[in-house]
Amino acid sequence: MRDRADLVIIGGGVVGLSLAYHLARLGFTDVVVLEQGYLCFGASGRNGGGVRQQWSTEENIQLMKESVQMFRRLSSETGYNVWFRQGGYLFLARDAASAQGLEANVKLQNRCGVPTRLISPAEAQRVVPGLAPAGIQVCAYNPTDGVLFPFPAVWGMARAATQLGVAVETFTRVTAIEARGRQIVKVVTDRGAIATNRVVNAAGAWSVQVARLLGVELPNKPYRHEILISEPLKPFLDPMVSDLSDGTYFSQTMRGEICGGVSDPAEPSSMETRSSLRFLERMCRAMVRVVPTLANVRVMRQWAGFYDETPDGQPILGRVDEVDGFIQLHGFGGHGMMLAPIVGKLAAEWILRKADHALFQRYDLGRFKRGEVQKETFSIG
Amino acid sequence: MARARRLDRSSDNPYPHGEQVEFQYEGRPMLGQAGEPLAVALLAGGVRIFGRSIKYHRPRSPFCLHGHCSGCLLRVDGLPNVRSCRTALRAGMQVERQLGWPGSGRDLFRTLDWVYGERLDHHSLLTSSGTLARMAMGFVRKMAGFGHPPTAEPGPPAPKRRMSVPAVVIGAGLAGLHAAVELGQAGHRVVVLEAEELAGGRLCDASCKLAGATGWAARRELLSRLSALPGVELRLGTPALAVYGDQAVLQVLAAGPDETLALEPQRLVVATGAYAPLPQFEDNDLPGVLGPRALDRLVCGHGVLPGEPVLIAGDAQETLELAAALVERGIALAGLVTDRPEPELPAQLRTAKVPRVAGHRILRARGGRWVQRVELAPAGRETPDLVLDCGLVAAEAPAAPAFELAHHAGCRVVFRSALGHLVQTDAEGHTSHGQVLAAGHCAGAGSAEEARLQGQRAGLACALGLKDEPGLRQRLAALKA
Amino acid sequence: MGKTIVCQCEDVTQGDLEDAFEQGFRDLESLKRYTGLATGLCQGKCCIAHAARFLAALKGGDEAAADPPRTRPLLQPTPISCFAGPEELSASPASREGQK
Repeated sequence: MRDRADLVIIGGGVVGLSLAYHLARLGFTDVVVLEQGYLCFGASGRNGGGVRQQWSTEENIQLMKESVQMFRRLSSETGYNVWFRQGGYLFLARDAASAQGLEANVKLQNRCGVPTRLISPAEAQRVVPGLAPAGIQVCAYNPTDGVLFPFPAVWGMARAATQLGVAVETFTRVTAIEARGRQIVKVVTDRGAIATNRVVNAAGAWSVQVARLLGVELPNKPYRHEILISEPLKPFLDPMVSDLSDGTYFSQTMRGEICGGVSDPAEPSSMETRSSLRFLERMCRAMVRVVPTLANVRVMRQWAGFYDETPDGQPILGRVDEVDGFIQLHGFGGHGMMLAPIVGKLAAEWILRKADHALFQRYDLGRFKRGEVQKETFSIG
Repeated sequence: MARARRLDRSSDNPYPHGEQVEFQYEGRPMLGQAGEPLAVALLAGGVRIFGRSIKYHRPRSPFCLHGHCSGCLLRVDGLPNVRSCRTALRAGMQVERQLGWPGSGRDLFRTLDWVYGERLDHHSLLTSSGTLARMAMGFVRKMAGFGHPPTAEPGPPAPKRRMSVPAVVIGAGLAGLHAAVELGQAGHRVVVLEAEELAGGRLCDASCKLAGATGWAARRELLSRLSALPGVELRLGTPALAVYGDQAVLQVLAAGPDETLALEPQRLVVATGAYAPLPQFEDNDLPGVLGPRALDRLVCGHGVLPGEPVLIAGDAQETLELAAALVERGIALAGLVTDRPEPELPAQLRTAKVPRVAGHRILRARGGRWVQRVELAPAGRETPDLVLDCGLVAAEAPAAPAFELAHHAGCRVVFRSALGHLVQTDAEGHTSHGQVLAAGHCAGAGSAEEARLQGQRAGLACALGLKDEPGLRQRLAALKA
Repeated sequence: MGKTIVCQCEDVTQGDLEDAFEQGFRDLESLKRYTGLATGLCQGKCCIAHAARFLAALKGGDEAAADPPRTRPLLQPTPISCFAGPEELSASPASREGQK
């Protein structure tokens, strides 16, 4: 392992690797990425691979438009097929408030050039065969959203960054970060130390622990989020279906499995990664409510990952007041995978001072102290 | 190649067989025996290829016949991916094969297997051009996936029930049944979950010998002891699906024939046995190549012989006994590939002069739609010096203990090259989880005798965990000696 | 023809294992994700033991290198209708507190 680096990225998930990849593409390769487990160990290897442009703020919509274009290119860029399939995203609203929310979002999305349409439950049945229309007020459908296979996105960025000269160290746990005054001097791991002045915290659910090594307190909280996958079936479901009433979402993978999850308001913040019977039951009920014929489909496997949540549902990006050269790139909730390409690219440009992006001031850690908070209301799937 | 035929059944055979019934296979009528596994009826009816594999469209056919592998998956009554070895035959069943164009029997997509003779790397497939990849996405998507979505109208959801019990035993094999007997004798209530319709595990194998008796005799004796114990509830056809340990109580999820159960035991004994992995040689997945226990069940249990002569390969005592059981039934053996010395072979094999091949391993299986011969090479060599014609192969593979359910609970599982992944236990069967014990092949037992002993010890230790009794402690100490 | 199948659910071959190792996927969790073995309908019952032996042998007989991947429910594919009923099987989430 290298014993010094210009920049150390803690967290070999898709966010950290996207940053490393884009830094390397800009010619900056004196970078070490530290991953505590195997590639795909954290949330990057545990998510459902949803990629959507249906958001409620203009900024997120524009970011996701960029990410979609980047995902379309990623397979040929890295040589790993991520199987990004644009089968659309269908949101279901069952109450007036959700319906109004969808209406407002669709207008905003259309203004940003995203072709989302409001459709009736009857029309939605043509998009999702077997959909039960009862109780659904209105749906929002954007055919250019999609799903991808998360693993090769992670492997691809890691390999591409490595080929350009970045070091990616797996099974390497950070045990301490040493600083002299405001300046970072060294990252200590269980496999040796790396002298550096700059550290990026891209550790997802472990970000709080990483920041604490420098005495920085983050407001993030990790939540277990569970997901399940069915037996592989021939293609019959094109879009990701998402029910706003209970946070259910599911789609069909390129391998033919139905893959999805459901949010659980009773889930306490924890680092629990065991699966639960509660989720299995809630998810099965939710799926059958949306598409009753799924009752005969078999559940094959369930697992859990983390949502790295912030108080306002927006990520934490940029510098901190306490220490110099300590850059934050976390708090993506359940959206790290879809935001990673564009955020990694912008962060690389910002770190190398190739461009200034307002993102890294607006979403810095200090916003919570300053009280400048704009909540993203559309944080599902 | 001989046609499939049915053998005479002995009166002590525990496998069910009912009246002759008619069902539909690929739109044609076929006959089988009600209650026997669908896979067995099809093999008896001469079906060789049950479907096609997901990527290379290689022919698939039953390999394990114990509900574990994916060789026997079929579409049954509008439901995809049904394990036909675990599905009892009923009159009027509609059975279809999956994958392949124009059909699974003759499948043009099989050319994929030849075009990509070495391997097809799906990770780099179509990555040279983004446009090309997007164009091919639809085709690739159609090729992926397995059975077509279900068309059967779903019924109401299964009733669900929570059940609090002192002890649960998972697996009604040798170890599990002995553990249950000990628990029952100690006066405890215990629920035994068994995935199969037939209790006994290895005791159902003709190749199983326990203290001189046949497995079938030992099974009858054990089950009669068990049925005399009022606290023991044996639930057949009720696979344990998961053990959840994320809450304060341990929950065992199981799917019974009519209801879904969440059992909440104070103590859990995992006695899940072991799987039959594929033996490793070229074209090891060719139809007609089975695991030894699958062949035992098919031929000796269900009395169906889909091909002859039979080639047997392996060194385990059970494998040799299987060869002997076939000879006893008048079945021709193509050979016995084993490194066990002549004097260690069962007497029947020596008198029948079964050709024994020593110092060799199977290099590859040959045949188009069903195995026709195997090529053998001396140890350490890659060129064959012996070819044996055969119509059926049973080949042993290194052990694969069924450790998963204990692993769900958080029990420590270790890997041993000779034994596979096994649940780590102490001499009494305690795992690293305070409420969970393990016994039998999942805990590393190598023989039927050992599995029985482990089952008894775990049963006693489990009973002691529920209630301390000096008598039980003495008995456990005696069993450990 | 001419393939040695390791996982018959996903058509993973011995060559796939060797390639994955070559590409740097040298632990069981990564080998599983990269090759797809143990992710099909049998969920690894027929292939994980072989993959573990393959890995341990290439790592100089290191048995610790072949610890099993995280085992995930369910043990066998089971219809959604078995779990979708209105009755509640799971213990309440509140009971998780204090168990840490």
